[in-house]
Amino acid sequence: MKYYLRLGFVLLVITVVASGILAYINGFTEPIIKENQRKAKEEARMEVLPEAASFDSISFLNEEVVYAGKNNEGQLAGYTFVASLYGYSSDVKTMIGVTPDFKVNKIKIIEQTETPGLGANCTKPEFQSQFEGKNETVMLVDKDGGEIVSITGATITTRTIANSIRIGLKFLKEIEVQSEPEEIHREEVTE
Amino acid sequence: MELLAKIFAMAIAAIFVQNFVLMRFLGLCPYIGVSKKIDSALGMGMAVIFVMTMASTFTWLIQTYLLVPLKIEFLQTIAFILTIASLVQLVEMIIQKTAPALYKALGVFLPLITTNCAVLGVAILNINEEYTFIFAILNGLFAGLGFTLVLILMAGIRERLERAELPRTMRGMPIAMIVAGCMALAFLGFSGLKF
Amino acid sequence: MSVIKEFTKGIVKENPVFVMALGLCPVLAVSSSVENAIGMGAAATFVLVFSNIFISLIKGFIPSKIRIPSYIVVIASFVTIVDMVMEAYVPALHKNLGLFIPLIVVNCIILGRAEAFAGKNNLIRSIFDGIGMGLGFTLALIVIASIREVLGAGQFLGFNVLPVTFKPMLVAILAPGAFLVMGLLMGLMNLKKK
Repeated sequence: MKYYLRLGFVLLVITVVASGILAYINGFTEPIIKENQRKAKEEARMEVLPEAASFDSISFLNEEVVYAGKNNEGQLAGYTFVASLYGYSSDVKTMIGVTPDFKVNKIKIIEQTETPGLGANCTKPEFQSQFEGKNETVMLVDKDGGEIVSITGATITTRTIANSIRIGLKFLKEIEVQSEPEEIHREEVTE
Repeated sequence: MELLAKIFAMAIAAIFVQNFVLMRFLGLCPYIGVSKKIDSALGMGMAVIFVMTMASTFTWLIQTYLLVPLKIEFLQTIAFILTIASLVQLVEMIIQKTAPALYKALGVFLPLITTNCAVLGVAILNINEEYTFIFAILNGLFAGLGFTLVLILMAGIRERLERAELPRTMRGMPIAMIVAGCMALAFLGFSGLKF
Repeated sequence: MSVIKEFTKGIVKENPVFVMALGLCPVLAVSSSVENAIGMGAAATFVLVFSNIFISLIKGFIPSKIRIPSYIVVIASFVTIVDMVMEAYVPALHKNLGLFIPLIVVNCIILGRAEAFAGKNNLIRSIFDGIGMGLGFTLALIVIASIREVLGAGQFLGFNVLPVTFKPMLVAILAPGAFLVMGLLMGLMNLKKK
Protein backbone atom coordinates (compact mmCIF):
# COMPACT_ATOMS: atom_id res chain seq x y z
CA MET A 1 0.00 0.00 0.00
CA LYS A 2 2.70 2.43 1.06
CA TYR A 3 4.60 1.61 -2.10
CA TYR A 4 1.62 2.49 -4.29
CA LEU A 5 1.08 5.74 -2.42
CA ARG A 6 4.68 6.61 -3.18
CA LEU A 7 4.17 5.81 -6.85
CA GLY A 8 1.13 8.06 -6.98
CA PHE A 9 3.01 10.80 -5.15
CA VAL A 10 5.97 10.75 -7.54
CA LEU A 11 3.66 10.88 -10.54
CA LEU A 12 1.72 13.72 -8.95
CA VAL A 13 4.87 15.72 -8.31
CA ILE A 14 6.00 15.31 -11.91
CA THR A 15 2.62 16.38 -13.26
CA VAL A 16 2.33 19.37 -10.94
CA VAL A 17 5.82 20.60 -11.81
CA ALA A 18 5.09 20.14 -15.53
CA SER A 19 1.77 22.01 -15.26
CA GLY A 20 3.44 24.83 -13.37
CA ILE A 21 6.09 25.29 -16.05
CA LEU A 22 3.48 25.14 -18.82
CA ALA A 23 1.25 27.66 -17.05
CA TYR A 24 4.22 30.02 -16.78
CA ILE A 25 5.10 29.74 -20.48
CA ASN A 26 1.45 29.95 -21.49
CA GLY A 27 1.30 33.21 -19.55
CA PHE A 28 3.50 34.99 -22.03
CA THR A 29 2.76 33.12 -25.26
CA GLU A 30 -1.02 33.45 -25.02
CA PRO A 31 -1.16 37.26 -25.35
CA ILE A 32 1.22 37.06 -28.33
CA ILE A 33 -0.98 34.44 -30.03
CA LYS A 34 -4.13 36.51 -29.46
CA GLU A 35 -2.39 39.64 -30.71
CA ASN A 36 -1.17 37.77 -33.82
CA GLN A 37 -4.67 36.58 -34.65
CA ARG A 38 -6.13 40.06 -34.16
CA LYS A 39 -3.39 41.62 -36.26
CA ALA A 40 -3.78 39.06 -39.07
CA LYS A 41 -7.49 39.87 -39.34
CA GLU A 42 -6.87 43.59 -39.14
CA GLU A 43 -4.24 43.40 -41.87
CA ALA A 44 -6.58 41.36 -44.08
CA ARG A 45 -9.28 44.02 -43.57
CA MET A 46 -6.90 46.84 -44.47
CA GLU A 47 -5.76 44.92 -47.54
CA VAL A 48 -9.22 44.35 -49.00
CA LEU A 49 -10.44 47.86 -48.19
CA PRO A 50 -7.40 50.16 -48.22
CA GLU A 51 -9.55 53.31 -48.54
CA ALA A 52 -10.91 52.88 -45.05
CA ALA A 53 -9.18 54.50 -42.10
CA SER A 54 -11.43 53.15 -39.34
CA PHE A 55 -13.80 50.23 -39.00
CA ASP A 56 -17.09 49.98 -37.08
CA SER A 57 -18.78 46.66 -36.45
CA ILE A 58 -22.31 46.56 -37.84
CA SER A 59 -23.38 42.93 -37.81
CA PHE A 60 -22.31 39.28 -37.69
CA LEU A 61 -21.93 36.78 -40.54
CA ASN A 62 -20.40 33.28 -40.22
CA GLU A 63 -19.58 34.11 -36.59
CA GLU A 64 -17.34 36.92 -37.80
CA VAL A 65 -17.89 40.64 -37.44
CA VAL A 66 -19.11 42.58 -40.47
CA TYR A 67 -17.43 45.97 -40.55
CA ALA A 68 -18.32 49.27 -42.17
CA GLY A 69 -15.17 51.12 -43.10
CA LYS A 70 -14.94 54.92 -42.98
CA ASN A 71 -12.33 57.04 -44.72
CA ASN A 72 -10.47 59.98 -43.19
CA GLU A 73 -13.35 62.38 -43.84
CA GLY A 74 -15.73 60.09 -41.96
CA GLN A 75 -17.57 59.01 -45.12
CA LEU A 76 -18.53 55.42 -45.80
CA ALA A 77 -15.64 53.76 -47.70
CA GLY A 78 -17.16 50.31 -47.88
CA TYR A 79 -17.66 47.11 -45.93
CA THR A 80 -15.68 44.02 -45.03
CA PHE A 81 -16.98 40.59 -44.13
CA VAL A 82 -15.72 37.00 -43.98
CA ALA A 83 -17.32 34.61 -46.46
CA SER A 84 -17.20 30.95 -45.52
CA LEU A 85 -18.51 27.76 -47.11
CA TYR A 86 -17.39 24.14 -47.28
CA GLY A 87 -15.41 23.57 -50.49
CA TYR A 88 -13.87 20.38 -51.82
CA SER A 89 -12.20 19.16 -48.65
CA SER A 90 -12.27 22.06 -46.20
CA ASP A 91 -13.96 25.28 -45.15
CA VAL A 92 -12.80 28.06 -47.44
CA LYS A 93 -12.74 31.41 -45.64
CA THR A 94 -12.36 34.61 -47.61
CA MET A 95 -12.04 38.19 -46.42
CA ILE A 96 -14.06 40.44 -48.75
CA GLY A 97 -13.84 44.20 -49.15
CA VAL A 98 -17.01 45.73 -50.60
CA THR A 99 -17.46 49.21 -52.10
CA PRO A 100 -20.42 51.37 -50.91
CA ASP A 101 -22.36 50.38 -54.08
CA PHE A 102 -22.04 46.69 -53.12
CA LYS A 103 -19.38 45.67 -55.62
CA VAL A 104 -16.41 43.57 -54.60
CA ASN A 105 -13.38 45.76 -53.99
CA LYS A 106 -10.83 43.04 -53.28
CA ILE A 107 -10.80 39.56 -51.83
CA LYS A 108 -8.23 37.60 -49.83
CA ILE A 109 -8.46 33.89 -49.08
CA ILE A 110 -7.59 33.64 -45.39
CA GLU A 111 -8.16 29.97 -44.67
CA GLN A 112 -8.29 26.85 -46.85
CA THR A 113 -6.81 23.36 -47.08
CA GLU A 114 -8.04 22.38 -50.53
CA THR A 115 -6.15 19.93 -52.75
CA PRO A 116 -2.60 21.21 -53.32
CA GLY A 117 -1.97 22.09 -56.94
CA LEU A 118 -5.68 22.26 -57.79
CA GLY A 119 -8.12 23.91 -55.39
CA ALA A 120 -5.29 25.40 -53.36
CA ASN A 121 -4.45 27.55 -56.39
CA CYS A 122 -7.30 29.80 -55.24
CA THR A 123 -4.75 31.66 -53.11
CA LYS A 124 -2.94 32.91 -56.22
CA PRO A 125 -3.33 36.65 -56.90
CA GLU A 126 -4.30 36.04 -60.58
CA PHE A 127 -7.34 34.16 -59.39
CA GLN A 128 -8.33 36.54 -56.63
CA SER A 129 -8.05 39.67 -58.75
CA GLN A 130 -10.83 38.57 -61.13
CA PHE A 131 -13.42 39.15 -58.40
CA GLU A 132 -12.67 42.88 -58.26
CA GLY A 133 -15.48 45.17 -59.39
CA LYS A 134 -18.06 42.39 -59.71
CA ASN A 135 -21.47 42.62 -58.08
CA GLU A 136 -23.89 40.06 -56.71
CA THR A 137 -25.63 39.24 -60.04
CA VAL A 138 -22.51 38.07 -61.88
CA MET A 139 -20.95 36.39 -58.82
CA LEU A 140 -21.36 32.90 -60.31
CA VAL A 141 -18.94 30.45 -61.90
CA ASP A 142 -18.87 30.67 -65.73
CA LYS A 143 -20.43 27.22 -65.90
CA ASP A 144 -23.40 28.50 -63.85
CA GLY A 145 -23.80 31.54 -66.12
CA GLY A 146 -21.70 34.04 -64.17
CA GLU A 147 -18.44 35.85 -64.80
CA ILE A 148 -16.05 34.00 -62.51
CA VAL A 149 -13.53 31.92 -64.43
CA SER A 150 -12.93 28.71 -62.53
CA ILE A 151 -9.53 27.23 -61.74
CA THR A 152 -8.73 24.33 -64.07
CA GLY A 153 -9.78 21.11 -62.40
CA ALA A 154 -11.21 22.84 -59.35
CA THR A 155 -14.67 24.05 -60.25
CA ILE A 156 -16.01 23.05 -56.83
CA THR A 157 -13.54 25.26 -54.99
CA THR A 158 -14.22 28.18 -57.32
CA ARG A 159 -17.97 27.72 -57.03
CA THR A 160 -17.68 27.60 -53.24
CA ILE A 161 -15.85 30.90 -53.15
CA ALA A 162 -18.22 32.60 -55.61
CA ASN A 163 -21.29 31.32 -53.78
CA SER A 164 -20.01 32.28 -50.35
CA ILE A 165 -19.30 35.81 -51.60
CA ARG A 166 -22.73 36.07 -53.26
CA ILE A 167 -24.46 35.01 -50.05
CA GLY A 168 -22.44 37.58 -48.12
CA LEU A 169 -23.18 40.39 -50.57
CA LYS A 170 -26.90 39.60 -50.42
CA PHE A 171 -26.81 39.62 -46.63
CA LEU A 172 -24.93 42.92 -46.60
CA LYS A 173 -27.41 44.54 -48.98
CA GLU A 174 -30.33 43.42 -46.85
CA ILE A 175 -29.01 44.83 -43.59
CA GLU A 176 -27.72 48.03 -45.15
CA VAL A 177 -30.75 48.89 -47.28
CA GLN A 178 -32.96 48.36 -44.29
CA SER A 179 -30.95 50.52 -41.95
CA GLU A 180 -30.22 53.32 -44.39
CA PRO A 181 -33.57 55.15 -44.35
CA GLU A 182 -33.48 55.06 -40.59
CA GLU A 183 -30.09 56.72 -40.57
CA ILE A 184 -31.26 59.47 -42.90
CA HIS A 185 -34.26 59.98 -40.70
CA ARG A 186 -32.11 60.21 -37.59
CA GLU A 187 -29.87 62.77 -39.23
CA GLU A 188 -32.85 64.91 -40.17
CA VAL A 189 -34.04 64.95 -36.60
CA THR A 190 -30.70 65.94 -35.15
CA GLU A 191 -30.23 68.71 -37.63
CA MET B 1 -34.36 12.73 -40.24
CA GLU B 2 -31.92 15.54 -40.68
CA LEU B 3 -29.92 14.16 -37.79
CA LEU B 4 -29.74 10.77 -39.49
CA ALA B 5 -28.54 12.39 -42.70
CA LYS B 6 -25.88 14.26 -40.74
CA ILE B 7 -24.72 11.07 -39.07
CA PHE B 8 -24.60 9.30 -42.43
CA ALA B 9 -22.55 12.10 -43.98
CA MET B 10 -20.18 11.97 -41.03
CA ALA B 11 -19.77 8.20 -41.38
CA ILE B 12 -18.92 8.48 -45.09
CA ALA B 13 -16.48 11.30 -44.40
CA ALA B 14 -14.69 9.54 -41.54
CA ILE B 15 -14.53 6.09 -43.13
CA PHE B 16 -13.83 6.94 -46.78
CA VAL B 17 -13.28 10.59 -47.70
CA GLN B 18 -11.01 11.52 -44.79
CA ASN B 19 -9.83 8.02 -43.97
CA PHE B 20 -7.59 8.24 -40.94
CA VAL B 21 -4.81 6.08 -42.32
CA LEU B 22 -4.75 6.81 -46.02
CA MET B 23 -5.78 10.47 -46.11
CA ARG B 24 -4.84 11.86 -42.71
CA PHE B 25 -1.76 9.68 -42.10
CA LEU B 26 -2.80 8.70 -38.59
CA GLY B 27 -2.14 5.28 -37.10
CA LEU B 28 0.46 4.23 -39.66
CA CYS B 29 2.62 2.23 -37.24
CA PRO B 30 -0.04 -0.43 -36.54
CA TYR B 31 -1.23 -0.19 -40.16
CA ILE B 32 2.18 -1.33 -41.38
CA GLY B 33 3.13 -3.35 -38.30
CA VAL B 34 0.02 -5.44 -37.60
CA SER B 35 -1.20 -6.07 -41.13
CA LYS B 36 0.60 -9.29 -41.96
CA LYS B 37 -2.31 -11.57 -41.06
CA ILE B 38 -6.05 -11.00 -41.34
CA ASP B 39 -6.70 -12.49 -37.87
CA SER B 40 -4.41 -10.13 -36.03
CA ALA B 41 -5.59 -7.21 -38.18
CA LEU B 42 -9.15 -7.93 -37.10
CA GLY B 43 -8.13 -8.13 -33.45
CA MET B 44 -6.20 -4.88 -33.63
CA GLY B 45 -9.06 -3.22 -35.50
CA MET B 46 -11.62 -4.17 -32.86
CA ALA B 47 -9.37 -2.97 -30.06
CA VAL B 48 -8.81 0.35 -31.85
CA ILE B 49 -12.52 0.91 -32.52
CA PHE B 50 -13.24 0.30 -28.86
CA VAL B 51 -10.49 2.54 -27.52
CA MET B 52 -11.14 5.34 -30.04
CA THR B 53 -14.82 5.49 -29.10
CA MET B 54 -14.03 5.47 -25.38
CA ALA B 55 -11.23 8.00 -25.80
CA SER B 56 -13.51 10.34 -27.78
CA THR B 57 -16.08 10.14 -25.00
CA PHE B 58 -13.75 10.81 -22.09
CA THR B 59 -11.51 13.40 -23.68
CA TRP B 60 -14.57 15.39 -24.78
CA LEU B 61 -15.90 15.35 -21.21
CA ILE B 62 -12.52 16.34 -19.79
CA GLN B 63 -12.10 19.18 -22.28
CA THR B 64 -15.63 20.55 -21.75
CA TYR B 65 -16.05 20.12 -18.00
CA LEU B 66 -12.50 20.41 -16.75
CA LEU B 67 -10.07 22.17 -19.06
CA VAL B 68 -12.37 24.88 -20.44
CA PRO B 69 -14.04 25.95 -17.14
CA LEU B 70 -10.67 26.07 -15.40
CA LYS B 71 -9.13 27.89 -18.39
CA ILE B 72 -6.26 25.40 -18.61
CA GLU B 73 -6.68 24.40 -22.26
CA PHE B 74 -2.91 24.50 -22.63
CA LEU B 75 -2.76 21.26 -20.63
CA GLN B 76 -4.81 19.54 -23.33
CA THR B 77 -2.00 17.38 -24.71
CA ILE B 78 -0.91 16.10 -21.28
CA ALA B 79 -4.48 15.55 -20.09
CA PHE B 80 -5.51 13.68 -23.22
CA ILE B 81 -2.51 11.39 -23.44
CA LEU B 82 -2.79 10.50 -19.76
CA THR B 83 -6.51 9.84 -20.18
CA ILE B 84 -5.84 7.56 -23.12
CA ALA B 85 -3.02 5.73 -21.36
CA SER B 86 -5.09 5.09 -18.24
CA LEU B 87 -8.12 4.19 -20.32
CA VAL B 88 -6.16 1.56 -22.21
CA GLN B 89 -4.81 0.21 -18.93
CA LEU B 90 -8.32 0.11 -17.42
CA VAL B 91 -9.83 -1.56 -20.44
CA GLU B 92 -7.07 -4.14 -20.34
CA MET B 93 -7.76 -4.96 -16.69
CA ILE B 94 -11.53 -5.11 -17.13
CA ILE B 95 -11.38 -7.35 -20.17
CA GLN B 96 -8.84 -9.59 -18.51
CA LYS B 97 -11.17 -10.12 -15.52
CA THR B 98 -14.54 -10.33 -17.27
CA ALA B 99 -13.87 -11.79 -20.69
CA PRO B 100 -10.75 -13.93 -20.77
CA ALA B 101 -11.51 -15.13 -24.30
CA LEU B 102 -11.69 -11.57 -25.60
CA TYR B 103 -8.56 -10.72 -23.66
CA LYS B 104 -6.73 -13.53 -25.35
CA ALA B 105 -7.73 -12.13 -28.73
CA LEU B 106 -7.11 -8.42 -28.04
CA GLY B 107 -4.66 -8.48 -25.14
CA VAL B 108 -1.43 -8.15 -27.06
CA PHE B 109 -2.72 -5.19 -29.05
CA LEU B 110 -3.98 -3.07 -26.18
CA PRO B 111 -0.64 -1.71 -24.90
CA LEU B 112 0.29 -0.76 -28.47
CA ILE B 113 -2.75 1.46 -28.75
CA THR B 114 -1.51 4.10 -26.29
CA THR B 115 1.06 5.22 -28.83
CA ASN B 116 -1.32 4.90 -31.78
CA CYS B 117 -1.56 8.47 -32.98
CA ALA B 118 -5.02 7.85 -34.43
CA VAL B 119 -6.44 7.74 -30.89
CA LEU B 120 -4.92 11.01 -29.70
CA GLY B 121 -5.57 12.38 -33.18
CA VAL B 122 -9.30 11.75 -33.08
CA ALA B 123 -9.53 13.20 -29.57
CA ILE B 124 -7.88 16.46 -30.65
CA LEU B 125 -9.81 16.62 -33.94
CA ASN B 126 -13.12 16.32 -32.08
CA ILE B 127 -12.21 19.41 -30.08
CA ASN B 128 -10.82 21.35 -33.07
CA GLU B 129 -13.93 20.64 -35.14
CA GLU B 130 -16.14 21.69 -32.21
CA TYR B 131 -18.29 18.57 -32.38
CA THR B 132 -21.12 18.09 -29.89
CA PHE B 133 -20.84 15.24 -27.39
CA ILE B 134 -22.81 12.69 -29.44
CA PHE B 135 -21.00 13.56 -32.65
CA ALA B 136 -17.63 13.35 -30.95
CA ILE B 137 -18.41 9.79 -29.84
CA LEU B 138 -19.72 8.89 -33.30
CA ASN B 139 -16.65 10.40 -34.94
CA GLY B 140 -14.44 8.22 -32.76
CA LEU B 141 -16.46 5.16 -33.72
CA PHE B 142 -16.49 5.90 -37.46
CA ALA B 143 -12.81 6.82 -37.55
CA GLY B 144 -12.06 3.51 -35.85
CA LEU B 145 -14.19 1.69 -38.41
CA GLY B 146 -12.33 3.40 -41.25
CA PHE B 147 -9.03 2.38 -39.66
CA THR B 148 -10.17 -1.24 -39.31
CA LEU B 149 -11.45 -1.34 -42.88
CA VAL B 150 -8.14 -0.37 -44.46
CA LEU B 151 -6.19 -2.48 -41.97
CA ILE B 152 -8.11 -5.61 -42.98
CA LEU B 153 -7.88 -4.78 -46.68
CA MET B 154 -4.16 -4.33 -46.28
CA ALA B 155 -3.80 -7.62 -44.41
CA GLY B 156 -5.68 -9.43 -47.18
CA ILE B 157 -3.33 -8.02 -49.79
CA ARG B 158 -0.22 -8.76 -47.76
CA GLU B 159 -1.19 -12.39 -47.17
CA ARG B 160 -1.12 -12.76 -50.94
CA LEU B 161 2.07 -10.73 -51.30
CA GLU B 162 3.87 -13.26 -49.11
CA ARG B 163 3.58 -15.71 -51.96
CA ALA B 164 4.31 -13.23 -54.75
CA GLU B 165 7.68 -13.20 -56.44
CA LEU B 166 9.13 -9.83 -55.61
CA PRO B 167 12.56 -8.35 -56.15
CA ARG B 168 14.40 -9.01 -52.91
CA THR B 169 14.93 -5.34 -52.12
CA MET B 170 11.23 -4.57 -52.25
CA ARG B 171 10.10 -7.33 -49.89
CA GLY B 172 8.50 -6.43 -46.58
CA MET B 173 8.19 -2.75 -45.73
CA PRO B 174 8.88 -1.18 -49.14
CA ILE B 175 6.19 -3.13 -50.95
CA ALA B 176 3.76 -2.53 -48.06
CA MET B 177 4.28 1.19 -48.61
CA ILE B 178 3.70 0.90 -52.35
CA VAL B 179 0.50 -1.08 -51.72
CA ALA B 180 -0.61 1.58 -49.26
CA GLY B 181 0.09 4.17 -51.94
CA CYS B 182 -2.13 2.33 -54.41
CA MET B 183 -4.89 2.10 -51.79
CA ALA B 184 -4.55 5.81 -51.10
CA LEU B 185 -4.89 6.45 -54.85
CA ALA B 186 -8.14 4.48 -54.82
CA PHE B 187 -9.40 6.34 -51.76
CA LEU B 188 -8.55 9.64 -53.45
CA GLY B 189 -11.52 8.84 -55.65
CA PHE B 190 -13.81 9.39 -52.67
CA SER B 191 -12.67 12.94 -52.02
CA GLY B 192 -15.15 15.63 -52.89
CA LEU B 193 -18.00 13.26 -52.11
CA LYS B 194 -20.76 15.30 -50.49
CA PHE B 195 -24.29 14.69 -49.30
CA MET C 1 35.01 8.82 -29.13
CA SER C 2 31.95 6.85 -28.14
CA VAL C 3 30.04 10.11 -27.76
CA ILE C 4 30.60 10.86 -31.42
CA LYS C 5 29.30 7.42 -32.23
CA GLU C 6 26.10 8.11 -30.27
CA PHE C 7 25.74 11.20 -32.39
CA THR C 8 26.35 9.73 -35.84
CA LYS C 9 24.48 6.45 -35.46
CA GLY C 10 21.12 8.21 -35.56
CA ILE C 11 21.91 9.88 -38.86
CA VAL C 12 22.81 6.84 -40.97
CA LYS C 13 23.20 3.43 -39.34
CA GLU C 14 20.16 3.59 -37.09
CA ASN C 15 18.21 6.23 -38.96
CA PRO C 16 14.87 6.31 -37.15
CA VAL C 17 12.82 6.68 -40.33
CA PHE C 18 14.51 4.68 -43.07
CA VAL C 19 16.08 1.92 -41.02
CA MET C 20 13.83 1.56 -37.99
CA ALA C 21 10.61 2.77 -39.68
CA LEU C 22 9.56 4.75 -36.60
CA GLY C 23 7.44 7.87 -36.53
CA LEU C 24 6.02 7.35 -39.99
CA CYS C 25 2.85 9.38 -39.46
CA PRO C 26 4.43 12.84 -39.30
CA VAL C 27 7.01 11.87 -41.93
CA LEU C 28 4.36 11.09 -44.51
CA ALA C 29 1.93 13.78 -43.43
CA VAL C 30 4.11 16.88 -43.43
CA SER C 31 6.56 16.00 -46.21
CA SER C 32 4.55 17.67 -48.98
CA SER C 33 6.85 20.69 -48.77
CA VAL C 34 10.44 21.13 -47.62
CA GLU C 35 9.49 24.08 -45.42
CA ASN C 36 7.04 21.99 -43.41
CA ALA C 37 9.59 19.18 -43.23
CA ILE C 38 12.22 21.47 -41.67
CA GLY C 39 9.67 22.87 -39.22
CA MET C 40 8.54 19.43 -38.13
CA GLY C 41 12.11 18.16 -37.89
CA ALA C 42 13.13 21.10 -35.71
CA ALA C 43 10.11 20.70 -33.41
CA ALA C 44 10.69 16.97 -32.98
CA THR C 45 14.43 17.43 -32.43
CA PHE C 46 13.78 20.00 -29.72
CA VAL C 47 11.39 17.66 -27.92
CA LEU C 48 13.74 14.71 -28.38
CA VAL C 49 16.81 16.47 -26.99
CA PHE C 50 15.08 18.06 -24.01
CA SER C 51 13.10 14.99 -23.02
CA ASN C 52 16.29 12.94 -23.29
CA ILE C 53 18.06 15.45 -21.01
CA PHE C 54 15.29 15.46 -18.43
CA ILE C 55 14.68 11.75 -18.41
CA SER C 56 18.38 11.07 -18.10
CA LEU C 57 18.50 13.45 -15.11
CA ILE C 58 15.45 12.18 -13.24
CA LYS C 59 15.74 8.49 -14.08
CA GLY C 60 17.15 7.68 -10.63
CA PHE C 61 14.12 9.07 -8.80
CA ILE C 62 11.42 7.29 -10.77
CA PRO C 63 10.24 3.86 -9.65
CA SER C 64 10.29 1.55 -12.65
CA LYS C 65 6.57 0.81 -12.34
CA ILE C 66 5.54 4.33 -13.29
CA ARG C 67 8.42 4.85 -15.70
CA ILE C 68 6.32 5.06 -18.87
CA PRO C 69 3.62 7.45 -17.56
CA SER C 70 6.33 9.73 -16.13
CA TYR C 71 8.16 9.77 -19.45
CA ILE C 72 4.92 10.58 -21.23
CA VAL C 73 4.27 13.54 -18.94
CA VAL C 74 7.79 14.88 -19.52
CA ILE C 75 7.47 14.46 -23.30
CA ALA C 76 3.97 15.94 -23.39
CA SER C 77 5.20 19.01 -21.49
CA PHE C 78 7.93 19.70 -24.01
CA VAL C 79 5.52 19.12 -26.87
CA THR C 80 3.12 21.64 -25.36
CA ILE C 81 5.94 24.15 -24.98
CA VAL C 82 6.88 23.72 -28.66
CA ASP C 83 3.22 24.01 -29.61
CA MET C 84 2.73 27.28 -27.73
CA VAL C 85 6.00 28.86 -28.78
CA MET C 86 5.44 27.98 -32.46
CA GLU C 87 1.91 29.36 -32.41
CA ALA C 88 3.22 32.60 -30.94
CA TYR C 89 6.25 33.14 -33.16
CA VAL C 90 5.70 31.20 -36.41
CA PRO C 91 1.89 31.07 -36.73
CA ALA C 92 1.90 30.20 -40.45
CA LEU C 93 4.12 27.15 -39.98
CA HIS C 94 2.12 26.16 -36.89
CA LYS C 95 -1.05 26.22 -38.96
CA ASN C 96 0.51 24.08 -41.72
CA LEU C 97 1.71 21.41 -39.31
CA GLY C 98 -1.56 21.62 -37.36
CA LEU C 99 -2.51 18.39 -35.65
CA PHE C 100 0.94 16.87 -36.06
CA ILE C 101 2.56 19.11 -33.45
CA PRO C 102 0.57 17.74 -30.47
CA LEU C 103 0.93 14.29 -32.02
CA ILE C 104 4.72 14.46 -31.49
CA VAL C 105 3.77 13.09 -28.04
CA VAL C 106 2.92 9.70 -29.50
CA ASN C 107 5.81 9.68 -31.97
CA CYS C 108 7.42 6.33 -31.27
CA ILE C 109 10.91 7.76 -31.84
CA ILE C 110 10.73 9.98 -28.78
CA LEU C 111 9.25 7.52 -26.29
CA GLY C 112 11.46 4.85 -27.85
CA ARG C 113 14.65 6.84 -27.25
CA ALA C 114 13.53 7.75 -23.73
CA GLU C 115 12.89 4.12 -22.89
CA ALA C 116 15.77 2.52 -24.77
CA PHE C 117 18.47 5.13 -24.30
CA ALA C 118 17.95 8.10 -21.98
CA GLY C 119 16.51 5.91 -19.20
CA LYS C 120 19.75 3.91 -19.14
CA ASN C 121 22.54 6.30 -20.13
CA ASN C 122 24.18 9.39 -18.67
CA LEU C 123 23.40 12.98 -19.51
CA ILE C 124 26.09 13.69 -22.12
CA ARG C 125 25.43 10.53 -24.09
CA SER C 126 21.69 11.14 -23.96
CA ILE C 127 22.08 14.64 -25.33
CA PHE C 128 24.15 13.43 -28.26
CA ASP C 129 21.79 10.56 -28.88
CA GLY C 130 18.88 13.03 -28.95
CA ILE C 131 20.61 15.41 -31.35
CA GLY C 132 21.71 12.56 -33.63
CA MET C 133 18.31 10.93 -33.77
CA GLY C 134 16.61 14.30 -34.25
CA LEU C 135 18.94 15.16 -37.12
CA GLY C 136 18.40 11.74 -38.69
CA PHE C 137 14.65 12.26 -38.49
CA THR C 138 14.92 15.77 -39.95
CA LEU C 139 17.20 14.64 -42.77
CA ALA C 140 14.86 11.81 -43.73
CA LEU C 141 11.96 14.28 -43.75
CA ILE C 142 13.89 16.71 -45.93
CA VAL C 143 14.89 13.98 -48.41
CA ILE C 144 11.28 12.81 -48.85
CA ALA C 145 9.91 16.34 -48.93
CA SER C 146 12.46 17.42 -51.57
CA ILE C 147 11.47 14.60 -53.88
CA ARG C 148 7.77 15.24 -53.38
CA GLU C 149 7.95 19.01 -53.71
CA VAL C 150 10.16 18.97 -56.82
CA LEU C 151 8.10 16.32 -58.59
CA GLY C 152 4.70 17.44 -57.38
CA ALA C 153 4.97 21.20 -57.56
CA GLY C 154 8.18 21.82 -59.54
CA GLN C 155 9.45 23.81 -56.57
CA PHE C 156 12.04 23.63 -53.84
CA LEU C 157 11.42 25.62 -50.66
CA GLY C 158 8.78 27.52 -52.63
CA PHE C 159 11.08 28.55 -55.50
CA ASN C 160 10.52 27.23 -59.00
CA VAL C 161 13.40 24.96 -59.89
CA LEU C 162 12.11 23.18 -62.97
CA PRO C 163 11.45 24.71 -66.40
CA VAL C 164 7.92 26.01 -66.94
CA THR C 165 7.33 23.35 -69.58
CA PHE C 166 7.53 20.68 -66.87
CA LYS C 167 4.05 19.71 -65.83
CA PRO C 168 4.11 18.88 -62.09
CA MET C 169 3.06 15.36 -61.13
CA LEU C 170 0.38 16.41 -58.72
CA VAL C 171 0.06 12.97 -57.21
CA ALA C 172 3.47 13.34 -55.57
CA ILE C 173 2.23 15.99 -53.14
CA LEU C 174 -1.09 14.26 -52.55
CA ALA C 175 -1.50 11.45 -50.01
CA PRO C 176 -0.65 8.50 -52.34
CA GLY C 177 2.61 10.15 -53.39
CA ALA C 178 3.79 10.07 -49.79
CA PHE C 179 3.42 6.30 -49.58
CA LEU C 180 4.90 5.67 -53.03
CA VAL C 181 7.99 7.83 -52.49
CA MET C 182 8.52 6.33 -49.04
CA GLY C 183 8.22 2.78 -50.40
CA LEU C 184 10.69 3.40 -53.20
CA LEU C 185 13.18 5.07 -50.85
CA MET C 186 12.98 2.15 -48.41
CA GLY C 187 13.60 -0.25 -51.29
CA LEU C 188 16.60 1.83 -52.30
CA MET C 189 17.98 1.65 -48.74
CA ASN C 190 17.60 -2.16 -48.83
CA LEU C 191 19.48 -2.29 -52.11
CA LYS C 192 22.37 -0.35 -50.60
CA LYS C 193 22.51 -2.59 -47.55
CA LYS C 194 23.01 -5.73 -49.59
